Amino acid sequence: MSWLLGSVLLLLALLGAPLFALIAALAFLGMRAAGYDDTGVAAEFYRLTEMPVLIAIPLFTLAGYLLSESKAPQRLVRLTEALLGWLHGGLAIVALLACAIFTAFTGASGVTIVAIGGLLLPALQQARYPDRFSLGLITTSGSLGLLFVPSVPLILYGIVAQQMGTTPSVSIDDMFLAGILPGLLMIGVLAAYGMWKAPPRAHDQPFSGREARSAIWDARFELPLPLIVLGGVYGGYFAASEAAAVTAFYVLAVTVFIRREIAFAALPALIREAMMLVGAILLILGVSLALTNVIVDAEIPARLVRWVNAHVANKWTFLLLLNGFLIVLGMLLDIFSATVLVVPILLPIALHYGIHPVHLGIIFLANMQIGYFTPPVGMNLFIASYRFNTPVLALVRSCLPFFWLLLACVLLITYWPGLSLALL
Amino acid sequence: MPRWLIAIGRLENLLISVFALALVVLAGLQIVLRLAENGLVWLDPVLRVLVLWVALLGALAAARHDKHISLDVLGRLLTGRLRRYARFVSLGFAAVIAALLCHASLGLIAVDRESGTLLAGAVPGWWAELILPVVFGLLTLRFLLRALIDLPPPTVPGAPP
Repeated sequence: MSWLLGSVLLLLALLGAPLFALIAALAFLGMRAAGYDDTGVAAEFYRLTEMPVLIAIPLFTLAGYLLSESKAPQRLVRLTEALLGWLHGGLAIVALLACAIFTAFTGASGVTIVAIGGLLLPALQQARYPDRFSLGLITTSGSLGLLFVPSVPLILYGIVAQQMGTTPSVSIDDMFLAGILPGLLMIGVLAAYGMWKAPPRAHDQPFSGREARSAIWDARFELPLPLIVLGGVYGGYFAASEAAAVTAFYVLAVTVFIRREIAFAALPALIREAMMLVGAILLILGVSLALTNVIVDAEIPARLVRWVNAHVANKWTFLLLLNGFLIVLGMLLDIFSATVLVVPILLPIALHYGIHPVHLGIIFLANMQIGYFTPPVGMNLFIASYRFNTPVLALVRSCLPFFWLLLACVLLITYWPGLSLALL
Repeated sequence: MPRWLIAIGRLENLLISVFALALVVLAGLQIVLRLAENGLVWLDPVLRVLVLWVALLGALAAARHDKHISLDVLGRLLTGRLRRYARFVSLGFAAVIAALLCHASLGLIAVDRESGTLLAGAVPGWWAELILPVVFGLLTLRFLLRALIDLPPPTVPGAPP
């Protein structure tokens, strides 16, 4: 019976049924099997209003959409180029940093490849970087920065883990801190690779103080943003949700009223676009609260812990299996659904093996990050293929070296907890 | 596309914008008030409810634009009549689930009306819950409509693919 049910739901998923409906169906079935009535699903869903940090998701998403529709990507590229363009391989590093910062604000939704990649790919090609390298760099960088404040997946993991009431506990601020060093590691490794692959005398523009000053002045309204978010949260002035409010308010004021790069008439459609993504995420989060409740009620995590414990000898084997599982997951499922569905099941097992929940979060997101461009079905491969009019297979080949490099980073992040936990 | 559908779309955009902007302004206001003194006690629960309202209205719009998160492996490969069937089955299923969610949230409202919990001040908690059956009811209709009729998502200029 349960096999039949599973196959039907799988078929529906493959046919394109919305994930929230599939999760809700499981939640309804579970509630009924446990002898509760359907009202329980609605009650669990409504618990969305009991999470004070949830407000960070719509606010940061809105800020990200506004920024990507303004001329901020151009200014960000100009600024990093003015500051770092003189380095050997500088343009590659510019691309990495610009993508990472932008992805942190827009949450690896593919916007980075479209907005920043579209600007940087021609520049890289003009500077005679190998084509394959440039394409790989841009496609890979589309999910770089996922570990940095204020990326929405980082916040979402914090929210889901917080719900589980683990010891040690997880806060959004912890996640913000834990992501810094692993994120920098990834950028550092890719930057070194970029310097190595850079053509001799690539784009060797001498440093110009005047251009640097002018680029800084040009970006004067965007420059305070990282300060507001980082300084506000790390300095203890704001909670994460308040930093989101300040950011959204500030970005709205700058893009619409001060710079006027977003016309007032275009605002409703843009806000709608942002809130559709928020709605899609929160709908899945809400119904998965109900499903998680059912799963915990049926003691499935406890049984899973016993099962894994009987088959997996130690922490290191578990972590290795975890890496493999998460990369496949990241390839198949989008990061938001993966987080709300898998984390509640994974967390008890990881705790059993003595893995810190914040460390698990960083492992989880780092794996998801490479899942974005893992062949054959990583989402960013398709977005880049569409944007740059290149066959997916060519992109797969260009991403491979980056994949191995970032895989090495992910393994290091996995087996070296200190990297994630040092700043807590 | 019929004119009344376009009008509904505009109304939705407007509502989402009003709620989202209210969220930004009120959240900002709360910080200013908190820095000045203690902030408004009733504003925090209102903000949390507002998040849900914006998100649900966004989810309603997402159904119109085919932007709900799905795996959609076969659906993308299929063409012509087979694709129509796939959409009929998958969106029809979504309509059934949305109807169940609508019914379940009516049950929740009945329970909370009885218990008389308050949201903030004298405002009954179930007022805030009214959005649930409204949006899930409309989602049911929208999924059903899109399962039966092949409505393309409205094109959005400048939107990411």
